Amino acid sequence: MNEKNVQTSYGGRQILLLITLLLLNTLAFPQDLRITGKVTSGGNNTPLSGVTVKVKQNQTTTTTNDEGAFGINASRGTSLVFTYVGYTPAEVVVGSSAVINVRLEALDKGLDEVVVVGYGTRRRRDITSAVSTVNMSDIGEQPSRGITQLIQGQAPGVVVKQKDGRPGAEFEVRIRGIASLGAGSEPLYVIDGFAMGTSTGVNINPNDIESISILKDAAATAIYGARGSNGVVLITTKNAKEGQTSLNFSVDYGVQNIPKSRRVTVLNGPEFAQFKKEVFEDAIRYFQRREPRIEEVPIGFRYPEQTRYSTNWFNEILHNNAPYTDYNLTLSSGKGPIRSVLSLGYYKEEGAIIKTNYDRFSLRANIGGAINKFITVGWNTAVTYSRQNLTNTDGRNAIVGSTLIMDPREPMYDSTGAMRPYIGGLDGVFGYPNPVFLLNNVTRRRNIADVLSNGFLEFTLLKNLKFRSSINARLNYNNYREFIPSTIGALLGSGLSGAPPRIATAQENTENLINYSADQLLTFAPDIGENHRIDFLAGFTAQEEIVKFIAGSGNTFPDDLVPYLGAAILRSSNSSEVGWSLLAYIGRVNYSYKDKYLFSASMRREGSSRFGAKNKYGDFPAASIGWRVSEEKFMPRFAWLTDLKFRASIGRTGNNNIGNYSSLSFLGTNNYILGNAIAAGKIVTSFANSALEWEKSDQVDLGMDLSLFNNKVTVTAEYYRKLTNDMLLPISIPAVSGFTTSLANIGEVENKGFEFAIDYREKAGQVNIRNSFNIAFNRSKILAIKGPNDALYYGSFYGGYNVQKVGRPIGMIYGYKKLGIFNTQEEIDKSPKQDGVIPGGMKFLDADGNGEVTYDTKDMVEIGNPNPEFTWAHTLAVDYKKFDFNVLLIGAQNFDIYRNIEASTMNMDGVFNVLDKAKDRWRSPQNPGSNPGHKNSQGGTNYFKWSRESSERYVYDASYMWVKNISLGYALPRIKNISSARVFVSVTNAFLFTNYPGNNPDVSQRTSIEGGNDDEAYPVPRTIAIGAKLNF
Amino acid sequence: MKHQITIGILIICLTAVSCSKEFLNRTDPTRIGTELFFKNQVQVDQAVNGVYGQLQGITNSAYIFKEMMSDNTTFDLNPLDRGGAAGWEAFEFSTVNPGNGEISALWNNYYSAMYNVNNTLGRLPASTITDASKKEIEAELKFLRAFLYFDLVRYFGDVVLVTKTLETPDEAFTLLRAPQAQVYTQIETDLKDAIASMPAKHPAAKVGRATKGAAISLLGSVYLTQKKYAEAVSTLNGILSLGYALLPSYADVFNPARKNSVESVFEIQYQGGNDLGEQSNFMYLFAPRLSGAAITGYANINPIGRNIPTNDMIAAYEPGDLRKDVSLKTGYTRNNVFVPIPFVNKYNHPHTIAGRTDNNWPVIRYADVLLMLAEAINEATGPTAEALGYLNQVRARAGLAPLAGLDKAAFRTRVLQERRVELAFENHRWFDLKRTKTPAELAAFMNAYGAKEKANPTVARGGVAFNALDYVYTEHEYFLPIPAAQILINAQLQQNPGYL
Repeated sequence: MNEKNVQTSYGGRQILLLITLLLLNTLAFPQDLRITGKVTSGGNNTPLSGVTVKVKQNQTTTTTNDEGAFGINASRGTSLVFTYVGYTPAEVVVGSSAVINVRLEALDKGLDEVVVVGYGTRRRRDITSAVSTVNMSDIGEQPSRGITQLIQGQAPGVVVKQKDGRPGAEFEVRIRGIASLGAGSEPLYVIDGFAMGTSTGVNINPNDIESISILKDAAATAIYGARGSNGVVLITTKNAKEGQTSLNFSVDYGVQNIPKSRRVTVLNGPEFAQFKKEVFEDAIRYFQRREPRIEEVPIGFRYPEQTRYSTNWFNEILHNNAPYTDYNLTLSSGKGPIRSVLSLGYYKEEGAIIKTNYDRFSLRANIGGAINKFITVGWNTAVTYSRQNLTNTDGRNAIVGSTLIMDPREPMYDSTGAMRPYIGGLDGVFGYPNPVFLLNNVTRRRNIADVLSNGFLEFTLLKNLKFRSSINARLNYNNYREFIPSTIGALLGSGLSGAPPRIATAQENTENLINYSADQLLTFAPDIGENHRIDFLAGFTAQEEIVKFIAGSGNTFPDDLVPYLGAAILRSSNSSEVGWSLLAYIGRVNYSYKDKYLFSASMRREGSSRFGAKNKYGDFPAASIGWRVSEEKFMPRFAWLTDLKFRASIGRTGNNNIGNYSSLSFLGTNNYILGNAIAAGKIVTSFANSALEWEKSDQVDLGMDLSLFNNKVTVTAEYYRKLTNDMLLPISIPAVSGFTTSLANIGEVENKGFEFAIDYREKAGQVNIRNSFNIAFNRSKILAIKGPNDALYYGSFYGGYNVQKVGRPIGMIYGYKKLGIFNTQEEIDKSPKQDGVIPGGMKFLDADGNGEVTYDTKDMVEIGNPNPEFTWAHTLAVDYKKFDFNVLLIGAQNFDIYRNIEASTMNMDGVFNVLDKAKDRWRSPQNPGSNPGHKNSQGGTNYFKWSRESSERYVYDASYMWVKNISLGYALPRIKNISSARVFVSVTNAFLFTNYPGNNPDVSQRTSIEGGNDDEAYPVPRTIAIGAKLNF
Repeated sequence: MKHQITIGILIICLTAVSCSKEFLNRTDPTRIGTELFFKNQVQVDQAVNGVYGQLQGITNSAYIFKEMMSDNTTFDLNPLDRGGAAGWEAFEFSTVNPGNGEISALWNNYYSAMYNVNNTLGRLPASTITDASKKEIEAELKFLRAFLYFDLVRYFGDVVLVTKTLETPDEAFTLLRAPQAQVYTQIETDLKDAIASMPAKHPAAKVGRATKGAAISLLGSVYLTQKKYAEAVSTLNGILSLGYALLPSYADVFNPARKNSVESVFEIQYQGGNDLGEQSNFMYLFAPRLSGAAITGYANINPIGRNIPTNDMIAAYEPGDLRKDVSLKTGYTRNNVFVPIPFVNKYNHPHTIAGRTDNNWPVIRYADVLLMLAEAINEATGPTAEALGYLNQVRARAGLAPLAGLDKAAFRTRVLQERRVELAFENHRWFDLKRTKTPAELAAFMNAYGAKEKANPTVARGGVAFNALDYVYTEHEYFLPIPAAQILINAQLQQNPGYL
């Protein structure tokens, strides 16, 4: 038995491969050999079927069978190339042996994995900053909603939230907390080197993605300068594997449902009549101090048991078993110097609410390769088109919220069987358009066409000197059209006055975006001896974006037959244009000594059109060091210790996401009438501020990377502290200045935290297990704000407040602290004054101790924290023979949500339907409900005051554990011409464990810094899917 | 050789993009930068028009402070929606606290308009317009400044006095409240300048801009408010020769077809019936909530039901007063049922597009000037025949018999009563009550009114009980509170006494 390690070089990249080559049987053979052998997966020798085996010199090709065995004719001295998706290719020179057994190592493993970083790539072992990578192969099967979904749970400190269940909606991504109070917290997305901005849009087909890197610390993101503060998501699209030609076809089909356990339960018809009766009677009992007579009760709810109808409006708008389908066809051609990937996709998702859906056609062509030794080219183009039927879903006046509070005693259809367009008005209950009628008759449609193109030319000027020039462009067309016919009543009207017919209205908006950039990069990696490795990068980049809008609206249509603006009697239109541009010079040097001491430094000097004339340019330096302790001579050579690296980084980044013309003062239109004719008028709309500049973040990161047992266990631990200052905030200024706010670079926010990830891979017999867990603790703290009492308040008196206060975390929920429910007048008299409160009203804390709880914000205090103590995710993947199983769990612990909608769904006036739990409300001192002392207990029915104000009453703990995705796959036996086939089933949003009473604990309907406000959003469905993948 | 070519390409690529210095200088193509404006006559005129435009916004909500706060009007309470309880309802019930949103909007709107007045005044010298034009524009802007400050000083007492453009927001923190006397001095100075340089009449295309007559009337009112009666008389006499007269019919005064009539001294301009966005909608604010199309003529917009004439107001008309039926109605008929909720009818005229009425808002009219003159003469020299003549001139048009034989005190009472009915719902009542009563008298007067409303509400309240603090007037409510937000922003700003 002869064992040998072979180092190979592959694909022009300096990739170090470690393969084990087993050479058995050293008999001599003639020139042409029949080579046989077996290909197995590294580590546990599981046979790999479908591996392409090719003779490099003459392109003879075969693939391995189910047992991983192959047979091929080759001459001595030629090379066999073994390639398999997800594995590092191997190359073996044919010697005298006729048997070649090869073990392929999984691609994502180990220190030699090449990681995409800003403007380049690095080997995992050389990385000295905080970079997480997401391997597509580690993610279980799930509906491909979009890129943002793929990242969920895959990296510590990267919190991805599905804030609602709208089809085609992007998820929210936050990297290392919320760093800014004024300029947004979305990361920068870079696709194939093109820095697109804070969103990729909804139109990228996730099936085209090869890998995703997430840059978290300043050393990694400073190269993106004034857009790096919130982290960077680097997306690389698929390229063909060299030598491989394949045609992949995949189809997924699934159904979506809102699980019964995640539906909000409200009273049914008879229960609501009973509730209204009790409200009516309780009012007489309290205000008139007598027992009501039955004939006093209005006939509409005098005898609740005689209620004729009971409609669950929420259930009526649900689309049960809403289907989604996803088809992808990918042709990958890796033969010859020019390689290409062509992919075609169609995705369609029906929403969990009727008449809402999203579909997307996508086409991508990635072509590239070496023309000769001197020039390499690449050109990626993606063309997509999507259509979305939407509805308004946030708040009590929109579809979802309104179904909870509409009168359940009303029927869907009238006596003739026609659908009733308007519901409400019985016994003073608020009226709403019938939501089913509305969904069927209102048009709200968005169409998006997107073209994304990147091309580059790379010249190898000298052996180690390369110049790369690339052009990136994005064209985006976004059209929104809305028509509300005259048959739709007013959203909220008491009595009959909201009932249709109303004036029909229409609007249409179109946005055309062009964003292009040009990058010129020079890389130089001189050979300076065996112990030294150094490379330089210098570059220049310019980018410009221009968006043009045209919008029209109209109303008063002769009929509802032609839903376009041309038919409107009254019309108006508007057009505008915005743009920005940036220029930047970048430089970077990486140096390592004996692969042991690592150093990297980068610099970006960036100018932006968005900033004041005095501060057009900013500098963004960063440096990082790494120390691979395990390479040190003094370290004992433990067999279990594969690698140990400590690293530290520091750097400065910026956030330029502050609007395009904020530093300038403009005139706004404010016309008047003179001589009974229009007279043009103008007023100044803001102060000019020529000193405005970007927000700066200074971040320090300390990390440790540990690999044990030959990469079986990898651990990454990270500590960071990010200080954001010079935030661009609208500060309140005295109104006597003429303005109420002015933008200024002020304030300071700290985010610090700890991230930990452990990945454990074990192969036991035929079972492969991957267990991956990550957890992140982020703490935000506001260090300074210049403003009123150093605090900024967001929200409203009846809708919940968030406060930004010095010394406190971002966005603390703010309102009255609830001490209980007043039982009697005596209790009220003994307590600090609460103007107008009667028994059944909530007792609030007199926070300022002046003897009165005033009806404003003065007695309000912090009542909740929307920032989780920690977030975590766990992936368990098990392969057994032909089966593969993957489950993703995510969780967030100890955070609060202000359930704003309950101010309406628990409105005790009897004008709205109420939640099931209203049955347990306070009614009288004798009948105070089961737990009146509980924070979330519901007060009495008799008076509007001291019940719906922002208070602790509406604050719920939303800690959760969510089984986000489960998938189970099975590899089918090989059929001729099909090199591999796989089927799977998956469940997305499978099981949610939480005490939060709303549909979705990831809900957040205001901005990042006003977290945890739930005013009822589009519910998040559970998706059950089956699919198949065929490889030809 | 090959490499040299490439390096050449490289250099071209680098320089091609980096040369353009202008690449980073962008401005909003859809708006005009402040620095480029205020240069010529057209631009200066637009800047002045912009301030007039802001007066529309101020006027749209003025009834809350000037009428609903008084004994003239109340509102049609919606027992199902008390969302306004912390806002505009508080002005009827005298429960206004510093956190009130309407107060904040009021303060912000006035000072926003003030900024534009001061800013344009400050940029005038550098403009290329003629000296004569400069003088006239300057006079007009000073009138507008006086107009704004006269309201502010009556609402709040001492107010922040700004007469120049601030260059940076920081300067605003140093500005504190100036004593009323100083504010009045500024108002008088501005108005005297305005009177000296404003035209008595504008050409037809500019009708609607303030005139000399408006400045004289405003200054007269300023003197009257300060009880400078002799100055008031001499100032107001100046208007008699300017050609104003009462229209024969009271109803015509409010008719959109008779805008800017010979009786009109200063009115806020609106225009309905088109898409210009310059319409008024007072009728929709004032019609009872459930009146549907019965009053406005359009069913698809819900009226708001504010500024409802009180029982007290309705009873104030003498029998036979022709003005009563023009100014208000005691109810409306819907679906053949008479609903006895009164409403303001002055601004109710047919209009062609729902929600867009054509009614101007009268600010100063000749009847007001005559009554001010009568009042000033009575206070300065007693109930002379001249004073009585002015009073009776107004009464005569209303179909009422002339008054005679009044002593000074009786005349004072009669002229105030006449003002109440003649100028009903034209935003005079609260300030008339304030200037003719001491804080203690005003509190007693308003408490008496409140007791009547509590005992017998003008509009049925749908079972909603009064709050204990409703209609409890105290002396400090003579002035409105400074908005709490402003004191939060600048702690140096003092709150009015009596407010927390």
